[in-house]
Amino acid sequence: MSDPHQVQSDHHSVDRRKFLKLTGTGVVGASLLTMLDARQAPAQLKGTSLRLLMWSHFVPAYDVWLDDFAKKWGETNGVKVRIDHMPHLELPARYAAEFAAGAGHDLIYFVGQILTGHYYKNLIDLSDLANGLGKKYGGWMESSKSGAQVGGTWYGVPDFFIAIPMLWRKDLFDSAGLGAPDTWEDFRKAGRILKAKGHPTGMPFSHCNDANHNWRSLMYCYGAKETDPSGQTILIDSKETREALKFAKAMYDEGMTPEVFSWDDASDNRYLASGVACWVHDAISAYRTTQDTNPKVFEHTYVLPEAKGPVARLNMGEPNVWAIWKFAKNVPAAKEFIQAIADHQKEAMEASRGYNMPFLRNQYTRPMPGLGGDPKLAALQEQDKITVFFGNPGPMTPAAQEVLTTFIIPDMFTKVARGVPVEDTVKWATGEIRRIYAKHKAS
Amino acid sequence: MAGLPAAGSSRSGASLSVAVGGRVGVTSWWRTPTARRFIFGYTLLAPAVLYVALLVGVPFLFSLYLALSDASVGDPVARFVGLDNFKAALENATFYVALRNSLVFTFGAAVMKGLLGTSLAFLLVQPFKGRTVVRALIVIPFTLPIAVSVLGWKWMFDSQFSVINWALSHLGLIGEFGSESWPVWLGQPGLALLSVMFVNVWRSFPFSAIVLLAGMTSVAPEIIEAAKVDGASFMQRFRMIIVPMIAPILFIGAAFDTVFTLSDLSIVYLLTNGGPDGATEILPTLAYNTGIRGGALGRGAAISLFLFPLLLPAIAILLRTLRRRQY
Repeated sequence: MSDPHQVQSDHHSVDRRKFLKLTGTGVVGASLLTMLDARQAPAQLKGTSLRLLMWSHFVPAYDVWLDDFAKKWGETNGVKVRIDHMPHLELPARYAAEFAAGAGHDLIYFVGQILTGHYYKNLIDLSDLANGLGKKYGGWMESSKSGAQVGGTWYGVPDFFIAIPMLWRKDLFDSAGLGAPDTWEDFRKAGRILKAKGHPTGMPFSHCNDANHNWRSLMYCYGAKETDPSGQTILIDSKETREALKFAKAMYDEGMTPEVFSWDDASDNRYLASGVACWVHDAISAYRTTQDTNPKVFEHTYVLPEAKGPVARLNMGEPNVWAIWKFAKNVPAAKEFIQAIADHQKEAMEASRGYNMPFLRNQYTRPMPGLGGDPKLAALQEQDKITVFFGNPGPMTPAAQEVLTTFIIPDMFTKVARGVPVEDTVKWATGEIRRIYAKHKAS
Repeated sequence: MAGLPAAGSSRSGASLSVAVGGRVGVTSWWRTPTARRFIFGYTLLAPAVLYVALLVGVPFLFSLYLALSDASVGDPVARFVGLDNFKAALENATFYVALRNSLVFTFGAAVMKGLLGTSLAFLLVQPFKGRTVVRALIVIPFTLPIAVSVLGWKWMFDSQFSVINWALSHLGLIGEFGSESWPVWLGQPGLALLSVMFVNVWRSFPFSAIVLLAGMTSVAPEIIEAAKVDGASFMQRFRMIIVPMIAPILFIGAAFDTVFTLSDLSIVYLLTNGGPDGATEILPTLAYNTGIRGGALGRGAAISLFLFPLLLPAIAILLRTLRRRQY
């Protein structure tokens, strides 16, 4: 039964202020719609809903952008979108729960801990989407593929990775008569000289993500390998690993203080922002934190994509990958959303202030958002050429993932820094890694 | 041939009744007063049994199933692997570190909680102005959300901005930041374990104090007064009168505390995640990082089940002692 009061019309006059407000809103709305209409999602999505499970980004402004983007994308395509943000370390437990229940979010996100190899039997094949994106944007970085593929099939779509460059204080280096650093030896020397002047350096010898990144980068620069490219043979027991360990021990003894044994993922940010550190090896969130909290130090903070080792210049990035459960209720909308985000990578990177590094080659066209306009960050525009991921040169398999989450590599460096002989440490780490790979091979 | 039993007598299972007027009938056993009491008792007990079975028994059996299989987070079809996961844990050097730390963490914290809880309970049992308010305030650590309070401690233990170090430095007890004497609470192996234990103690000792206080207030003042008249010292009164009288409460409190501390994941996970180099690794963090973050559910479950043989005898001894004291 209809309500007669519903069909009442107002005949208010439109004054100038209201006119400007309405037209202004219209123009902004139309611009966004034009932006989002660049690719119109299929009509059958209208009236559906989409649930996403995301991490809480280290750059909060990115989450604001993403939530807004999702809202507008939803409005444009008639999809009700809901994003749940969680701390990244809690995501694996949440995925295990969703998988056990056979219900949960449509679109999920692996952050750093890449679980594609664990869940691929229960994830949607996204090969059409990933191959389409690769074709459109000049191909995927080779090292990114194992985070999203199993047996050549794409069960995930790489979104972005986090670069972990060297952040160094030019004023302190200048004061010690040191030139612009380029190699690990340069940074070791700087630590040795500047620690004596009250400006030590630091890399975390603890159970945190940064420890996993930093020490792997050093290892890879020294030519050490976790496995062979197939991921079948463990190669950690090598001369190169030993050299990297000896170097780390010397770098700790000469240039660091014991506090690095207690560091978490934010400690190096604080260390740099406080003005104490002469250099840290961290994501550009540390650079941004310093920019926001200590402009004086920020003015003298410079960025090197990675220090060069005796064998290579390789940076271990932290990968992030989209995936869709087989039990997802709205697979088409989830796929469309991934496509939309990839198509708006420039806005995403801008919102993240240059933090979200793309996996697609053509997205490295200069100037890159958030990086190209800052001379100190401009060097990161070639980060795709030096970035590798955990397990290197092998793939990011479940076994490599377990080695990562049980902190065997950081513990190996910690033992040596604390004085355990290199030989004993390598033997211990090799045993632990072999045990893990053997268990995964058996199952 | 045996004669008919007398009217109203019963055997187990059923009773034969001889009614007046020669009608003979069989009354079911469950209609007897004994059976009714029996059924009534078990009906009252059923919700508790069901609760324990569903929320404790089923998860326990499920974790046992996982521990005997090669289950991973993404594979619902697991293969029976016997005791392989337990063997794998025993071959893992970190497991022994975690086991040792778990025992040190549990028993070290228990001793500290016992000492602090007892002292606090004695203070709070004394009459003084504002006692009710103080009693309410001391349970705050126990009632605060653990994530919030542990993050507070994380800042207080920060290697650079620690308020504890700042205070100690200003008191002249340690040097400046960067000096040899500047403690790195979560970075030095001994200190790190002590720090996580300390947070556990800080959070739980009010519970110990409240349990003790409840027991102490139940002891009749006349008994204490009589002991005083007989010349018993403070320690004698505590050891020979108060403790024996409140032993049942103490045992239950100790049992709860042991279980909660040994299985406590949050404090270590949030403060150190088991680092540095396993210095604070305990069985729950190792099980979580292996089973959930590493995806090897079977091995994670096996590691966590090692807690069971540790806890079972402790709880059995406590409950046995408690029962003996009751009868």
